[in-house]
Formats: sequence, structure tokens, C-alpha cells
Amino acid sequence: MWVQIFLNAFSLGSFYALVAMGFALIFGVTHAFNLAHGELVLLGGYLAYWLTRSFQVPFYWTLPFCMLALALGALLLHLLVRKVREPFELNSLVLTFGVALILQNGMLSLFSADYRLVPAAGGPVKLPGFAAYLSPAQAWLLALSLGATAALYLLLKRTFFGKALRATIQNREAAELAGVPIRRMRLAAFVIGGSLVGLAGPLFGQMAYLHPAGGMEATLVAIVVTIFAGIGQIRGILLGGWILGLAETLAVYWGGASWRELVSGVLLILFLLWRPEGVLAPKRRAVP
Amino acid sequence: MAPGDSIYFRVLAMTCLYGALAFAWNLHALTGVVSLGHAAFFGLGAYGSALAVHYWKISPWWGLLLGGGAGAAYGVAWAVVFRNLRGPYLALATLASVQVPQVIIDNWESVTFGSLGVVGIPALPPLDLGPVRWDAGEDPRGQYYLLLGFLLLVAGIHRAAISSRWGWAIRAVREDEVAASAIGVNVWGARFQTLVSSAFLTGLCGALYAHLIGLVEPPLVFSLHISAVPLVFTIFGGRYQAYGPFLGALVLYPLDQLLFHAWLPAGHAMVYGLVIVVAILCFPQGIAAWLQERVKSVWS
Repeated sequence: MWVQIFLNAFSLGSFYALVAMGFALIFGVTHAFNLAHGELVLLGGYLAYWLTRSFQVPFYWTLPFCMLALALGALLLHLLVRKVREPFELNSLVLTFGVALILQNGMLSLFSADYRLVPAAGGPVKLPGFAAYLSPAQAWLLALSLGATAALYLLLKRTFFGKALRATIQNREAAELAGVPIRRMRLAAFVIGGSLVGLAGPLFGQMAYLHPAGGMEATLVAIVVTIFAGIGQIRGILLGGWILGLAETLAVYWGGASWRELVSGVLLILFLLWRPEGVLAPKRRAVP
Repeated sequence: MAPGDSIYFRVLAMTCLYGALAFAWNLHALTGVVSLGHAAFFGLGAYGSALAVHYWKISPWWGLLLGGGAGAAYGVAWAVVFRNLRGPYLALATLASVQVPQVIIDNWESVTFGSLGVVGIPALPPLDLGPVRWDAGEDPRGQYYLLLGFLLLVAGIHRAAISSRWGWAIRAVREDEVAASAIGVNVWGARFQTLVSSAFLTGLCGALYAHLIGLVEPPLVFSLHISAVPLVFTIFGGRYQAYGPFLGALVLYPLDQLLFHAWLPAGHAMVYGLVIVVAILCFPQGIAAWLQERVKSVWS
């Protein structure tokens, strides 16, 4: 039974890591707090739902479509956020809060408040040797989350473009002095972040019910994991996602499903109080 | 529909309530804090009053004060726990802190009726003021006058927070905390006072709401919408003017209720999001500031 709990926790955690990765990349490169992140994930989910319902598109084809659509959506968001004045971080937070309201109500009027679910592809698979089942949604989650993390890691560590992104994350002014095209990096961050969101959306629609009010919860999850990992640290995100997934699964097991929402909220407050620059972030040495 | 019809009084009454809510929110925002979690105070005020009247059988008028007190207590918690946070980190913390009372109330079914909510909340009993009988419970006109009075009270406090000596301290804290502290302004005091009074007044709004509507449930009074509304009205109307938040409420709320509700019955709150986006990008000081500029340029 513990095997099932850990399996649930890790697939949930991998999903949280995927959701957080797009947010972390955007925030790391542009320092824009995207409060509409959860609504974008939901949008991807609703898009997948609409595709599977109206056009009978099989699940795996919705993924590239949603990735493209959400990358475009993120591009539009980038055009808006670019125009925000000082103080940038706070104003971008309020601006994306407004965008979240727009998206939330747009989805409410288009899809109504009924709970929707993207149909799963196939039945649960029993793990040999253990009394645990892996549902197809969980299998997709684990595979795609780990795959996306690996792909992002390779992009950042092994390519020149990734190096430029990392430079922008670490110190924007110094990167600009070194010749990194900052504006192009911001654009790239939004586009890559958007495609990660587009990957997460259909998965979300398959494993949890889609309803327009669920966006803020997803945003809080992304923020908690990002703050845990530290600004600009990508490898900590997978670990952070797993820890959050474990914490929530245990809270549900011990307290019941309704306490789950409290976990991410309380964790966020604790992280903000304790180490807002990132729990796993290396301690900055004082410059002599 | 004739001008005497009760729908106009109801819309005006709610405009006054939301205007007061916006004033209360801006009271704390004047110190430079953007709070995305004022729904916590509102919900605590609504539930505090509803449960107190339900269990202790006190008059709803006392329930209002208790609701305000519940909000103020949570405000004290914020002031202590979040004392070192600033800017976007503080905004995120306020957003997350709505979850705490919401989930607790949602789950503590034996006391708070959980997700069923509290129904049958008694309306405010009529007051006998000498020769005049003021029925703020059932009569829309009476409700309107009560909320108008409440609005004027909160507007007065808000104006004091801008134009008095206290207001100058608040402004100093907003513009440069370190410099303000260096010249002797009590920064912690200014932030604490504005937060707790804002929380108390917001709780009062929530309690009034509970007794006017007669029903509270967690997703209704702790909703993001309640947190967003004072933000939208204030940013639209003008953050640093004495009448700014109410101007936003006066323009946007009737527009939303009477016009957009008819066009988009489900997603009419979208207009608030649009207002935020346009205001942040084009006139972050609010239309009141823009109007002031126009008037000044015409006058001189």
C-alpha cells in the first residue's frame, strides 16, 4: 500500500515539477511573476478536452497541438508584460493577476463551471511484484515530466543557447555586457515556458477535473516549487515537485482530500518567510 | 423601470458596500503593499458574525463588530508573520494566506457547517431612533442609507490616511521605508495600524454582506473575486486620491451589474481583469489622476 502511495506521490510530484518548470524559466529570465500560469495550464487542458471531444483526436496528438498553441499564448503574454513599468516585479504580478481573471472568466463562459475530464487512453497497468497500479495518466505524467526535465537540462547545460539563457538568469546586466541578446532571451523564455505549459495542460485534464477556478491552485503549486528550487535553478525543481507531491499525498492520506489545498498555501508562506531567494539556492557570499 | 424601483437601491447599496471595501483595502495599500488576500478578512468577518449570531443569539449589530474583530485578529497575524516581507513576496504571501481560514472553515463541519455554509442569517433588526424607524434589514432603501453611512465613515478614515499627519507618515513609508525610518517615522507602527484597521473594516464589510445576503459559504466569501474587486476599483479610480477607490466603484460596479451581466452572464467578471490590464499598462495612477491632469491643463 505504501508503494501505491509513493507511486501516486511521485507521479503527482513529477507533474508539479513540469508545471513549475515553465514558471521558473519565465521568472528566472524575465523576473516577471506570472500569476496567470495556472490559468494557462487550464487553458491547455480545456483545449485538449475540446479536441478530444469535438474532433475525436487521440490523446497523444493533443500534446504537440497544445504545446504550439500555448507557446503562441505565452508570446502574447510576453508582449503585454514587456510594457510594464517600474516596479516591474510587483506590477507584472498585478498585470498577470488581471490576465488570470480574464482567462478564468473566459473559460467560465466558454465551458461553464461543470467539471470536465479528458478521457484516459487505456486501462491501469499492474506493477509486477507489488500490489500497486499505474494508471495510463500516471504513466504519461512520469514519462513526459522526466523527459521534459531531461530535455530542458540538456538544452541549458549542453547548448550555447542554453548557456546564454543561464547567463541571463544569473545576471542580466552582465549578460548584456557580454553580448547576450537579452530581448531575444526573454522571448525564448516565454516561448519555451509556454510549450512546457502546453505539455502540462492535457496531462492535467486527464488526471484531475478541469474547472475554471482551479487555476490559482496550479499557480500556487508552480510558485511553491520554484521558490523551493531557487530562482534560476532548474535541477531543484524536480526534487521540489516530488517533495510537494509527497507532502500533499500524505496530507490526503492522513487528513482527507479537502486538506490538500492547504498544503501548498502553508508551504508557500513558510518558504517566503524562511528563504524567499530559494530553499535550495546557494548562499550568496558577501562581496568584499 | 421607475427610478424608485428597488433594483436601483440595491445596486447603489452594493456600490456603497464595495466602495467601502475598496477604501478599506486602499488604507493598507497606501503603505505600498499590494494585498491579494483581503478576501480572508472579508470571509472571516462574514463567518464571524454569522456564527456568533447563530450560536450566541446576539443581535446582528453586535455580530457586525465581532466580524470586524475577527478580521482584525487575522490582520494582526499578518502584521506579525509577514513583517519582513515586501513587494511581490508579500503579495504572494497574502494570496496564499486566504487558504488557511478557507480550508479550515470548509473542513470544520461540526462548527462552521463546512461547505454547506450558514443559511438563514438574520437580517439587521430595525432600529427605533426616536420618531424614526430605520429598517436596515428588509427595506432596500433602509439598506442603502445604512451602507451610505458606512461608506462615509470609511471614506473619512481613508481621507485621514491621506491628508493628516498620520497620512504623511504613511506616505513616507510608501515612498522610501529606509529614509522614513531614518527621520524617525514609526514604520512598524504605520504598517501595523493601517493593516489592522483595514482588516477590521474589511471584516465589517464581510459581516454586513452576510446579514444582507442571508447566506455565507466558503467559496462565496473567500473567493478571489472579493480580493480582486477592491484592487480593480482602486487602481482604476486612483490610488492616492481621497475619492479614488469610490470613483472606481461608482463607475465599474453598476456598469458590471447592469450592463456586462446582461452581455456575458457567466464570465462578466472578465471586465475587471481587462480593467486591471489596461490600467497597469496605460494609467497606473488611476483615472482620478488623469482627470486631475486634464482639469489642471484646462484651468491654467
